[in-house]
Amino acid sequence: MQFSRRNFFKFMGVAGASVAALPSSARAWKSKAPPDSYGCLVDLTRCVGCRKCEEACSEVNKLPAPERADCQCTIFDRKRRPDDKAYTVVNRYFTGKLDQFDNPLPTYAKVQCMHCQDPSCVSACLAGALTKDETGAVKYDVSRCIGCRYCMVACPFEIPAYEYHNPITPKVMKCTFCYDRISEQGGLPGCATICPTEALTFGKRKTILKVAQKRLKENPGKYIDYVYGEKEVGGTSWLYISSVPFEKVNLPALPNKPLPKLSETIQHSLFSYLWSPLALFGVLGAVMYKSNKVQEEPQNKGGA
Amino acid sequence: MEHKASPLNKKFWTPGVLVMLVFMIAGAIAIIARFTGGIGYVTNLSNARPWGLWVGVDVATGVALAAGGFTTAALAHIFGRHYYEPVTRPALLTAALGYTFVVIGLLIDIGRSWAIWKPMFYWNTNSVLFEVAVCVAIYLNVLYFEFLPIVAEQFKGRVNLPGIMAVFNPLIEMILKIGDAILDKTMWIFIILGVVLSCMHQSSLGSLMLVAPTKLHPLWYTPILPLLFLTSAFAVGYPMVVFETTIITSSLKLDSEMNILAPLTRITIFLLGIYMFLKFGDMFVRGTYIYLLDGTYQTNSFIIEMLLGIMVPWIMLLFEKVRNSRKGVFTAASLIIGGVVINRINVFIVGYKSPLSDNGYFPAPGEIFVTLGLIATLMFIYRIIVTYLPVLQAPKEVSP
Amino acid sequence: MKIKMVRKIIFLAGLVILATALCMAEVWKAPDQEKAREKAKKIVPFIKEYKDDCKINRKICLMDAGISIKDVKDVYFLLDSPIIKKREDHYEPVRFAHKRHAALIQDCSMCHHYRPKDENALETTRCSACHQDSFNPDHPERIGIKAAYHQQCVKCHTAEAKGPVDCKGCHLQKVPDHKDLVKLPDNADPFQVTAECLRCHDTQGEDMLKTAHWLWKGPSPYTTGHRKDIMHGKGTTALNNY
Repeated sequence: MQFSRRNFFKFMGVAGASVAALPSSARAWKSKAPPDSYGCLVDLTRCVGCRKCEEACSEVNKLPAPERADCQCTIFDRKRRPDDKAYTVVNRYFTGKLDQFDNPLPTYAKVQCMHCQDPSCVSACLAGALTKDETGAVKYDVSRCIGCRYCMVACPFEIPAYEYHNPITPKVMKCTFCYDRISEQGGLPGCATICPTEALTFGKRKTILKVAQKRLKENPGKYIDYVYGEKEVGGTSWLYISSVPFEKVNLPALPNKPLPKLSETIQHSLFSYLWSPLALFGVLGAVMYKSNKVQEEPQNKGGA
Repeated sequence: MEHKASPLNKKFWTPGVLVMLVFMIAGAIAIIARFTGGIGYVTNLSNARPWGLWVGVDVATGVALAAGGFTTAALAHIFGRHYYEPVTRPALLTAALGYTFVVIGLLIDIGRSWAIWKPMFYWNTNSVLFEVAVCVAIYLNVLYFEFLPIVAEQFKGRVNLPGIMAVFNPLIEMILKIGDAILDKTMWIFIILGVVLSCMHQSSLGSLMLVAPTKLHPLWYTPILPLLFLTSAFAVGYPMVVFETTIITSSLKLDSEMNILAPLTRITIFLLGIYMFLKFGDMFVRGTYIYLLDGTYQTNSFIIEMLLGIMVPWIMLLFEKVRNSRKGVFTAASLIIGGVVINRINVFIVGYKSPLSDNGYFPAPGEIFVTLGLIATLMFIYRIIVTYLPVLQAPKEVSP
Repeated sequence: MKIKMVRKIIFLAGLVILATALCMAEVWKAPDQEKAREKAKKIVPFIKEYKDDCKINRKICLMDAGISIKDVKDVYFLLDSPIIKKREDHYEPVRFAHKRHAALIQDCSMCHHYRPKDENALETTRCSACHQDSFNPDHPERIGIKAAYHQQCVKCHTAEAKGPVDCKGCHLQKVPDHKDLVKLPDNADPFQVTAECLRCHDTQGEDMLKTAHWLWKGPSPYTTGHRKDIMHGKGTTALNNY
């Protein structure tokens, strides 16, 4: 192999210049949460388990009708998860609470995409098929998706579902927050429109967070004094308040730090302006140049 | 550069090759099933378990085991240890084939295989996977460029396509000649680029899991996961060369090349030592040793990884007797490789658990067939290439 | 005896006349239902501020004001509002017996839980004066009229273990107008009609085939011409025209 000295210096010069042009320190990680996004408050004490939200959701999003839409008893025997045919499902939990006749009191909990303020899935998607909208909705653009399912790996709430039985054009399926409806003036998500007891309160996230806190304050003893989703993974658009511990209704305990923070910090401090690869390239080039020169010289003397 | 590589002069259809063929057919059937019935038809993947055997083994392990390519290139070409050049070609071939099959594995695993080009145009620079994808894509081409001189060496001046194709002979001849001439001048760029790209994506493959702290078992989830992936790739590079060289030389009855392999293992002591130090250090700093005796299958898998995959081979290699024995070196190398394989499987499959709805996962027969089929095809093509191209060191004297 | 007979005849004749009259007056409407419907249609001005009072205080206030069941003017009304219909229209309105509920509960403060802040306003006001559209950004804590109805009804029915708590216990499901849905040729034969029904209601059709109405077999002592058949019925020889 010929190792041209001129080429090497030319290349190294360019590489060195780009490294020098770097800002000395990588910028600190900042939340990219939209400033005035919408949110939705789920008050589990108000939910009666009518499953109308499931029905409205599938109607609005043109999904198949929910499994046994009218059933409010045996369907709850099995714990369901949102999947490729349903963006939201309601589950029933018996948490040990009793009513005045000593019958176990059910708690119903709706599950759907939480629309995180700093979503892991958005950070994970390599082609930017998932984006965080100004409305707060985490939008999915199938035209960019390659189907790697990294979003599903990343999601701490296990929400994105996959059309595993579509061989060529499968899609990631998840709650859309009805963004085309809510981006219109006065628009509501399908589920919040139909909820008969207003267990779902839709509004600006800031406003409904205040509503939630007020409700906790005004009803001491009724609720657990905590708004789930206020701080979880840096905050979510959907918030929950409940009279039973959140783990008991399958809302996982999560760190308060936005999950993409660590990996994005590492990525950007190492690779912004490609400074570290260029530096490595330079160092290795120098080593290669030096080690080859050392070995070439005796050969040259030998008249090769 | 005293060594001389040459094509093999051996019988091609051996029983081993026929066994490979069987696996290849089984794999092909499974792949057809995947592209007609969907991923869900052949795999046990679910919404709680989006990544399984194909990502864990075909992709992550494949990338790790192809590390022999850049580590030997760095040693022989960049650090100027030309003594090791005889193993660079087989290692390069393994890497080129390995990465090719990583990409094929990816094409099977991703839902929209036809859309794989999209990340090249739609960038998300926040995504770890984006960086991995770009690096792998470029590195694959770098590997092909690095391999091109070997093709040129065999066919330059001898291009002779049969029949009607013969009209292209002069054209291909010219391409080979020009390509070879350009590559000869610029090869150093590709070699360094290959090492840089490898360092980038080998580490970033570990960063993939950093976004899911609640899903990866704490024994593996650590902020230094990318560093562990990088150092383990460094550590597994030379053992991989030892492993494949030993297998090839013994199955094809070539010279054992122990004079090169033994010193390689001495470097491995150092590289594996770093990895082991980081791994133990991480465990003690984060206090995750508290899990070690809880008896779950995850913990047991971790213990196997640490004990058999790192500590035992490291201690083995400390003994000169082991380092100089062909069997000893081979055993240690196999253990190290096994350790890295288990590590990748642990990170992507065993240690992964969706806290809400995971019901456990074991790969479906279809998944296993595809993986085995891909490995068999890789070996088959390797066999073809070493038969027709100058990859392996020419036997000094073939012992009958 | 005779008188009795005459009385009976007059009574029957009266019944017949009444029935004919009912049939003749094609669109007779129940006046109270009409009144309720009109009332439900009205949107009253929104009461922005209310007097924040504790429950016991409120009860005492109402008693002090001497408000009792006698003051109930609207004996019956419909729980409905155009505000609800603007959002969705899945169910028929609930028919609410106001006075009956008042008589049973004997505590107006159960529903009339707050009063307007304006001292001149009436002590009790209708639900939809305070509760209107959901998610009003100016009053985010105020629940909408639909939620107010549901929360109030379901809570009380559950606590008292009285009254329905499921959807169809109170509502009739809104049946879409079949005029536009049914597509049949003129002079359709029975088979065409059945097929058209089954086009949408195939599950109901399947279910029907499993019921006794379809499968019934047995003696048919009152069926002309089949009095002696011991195994007659839809499951065997009787005509099934769908």
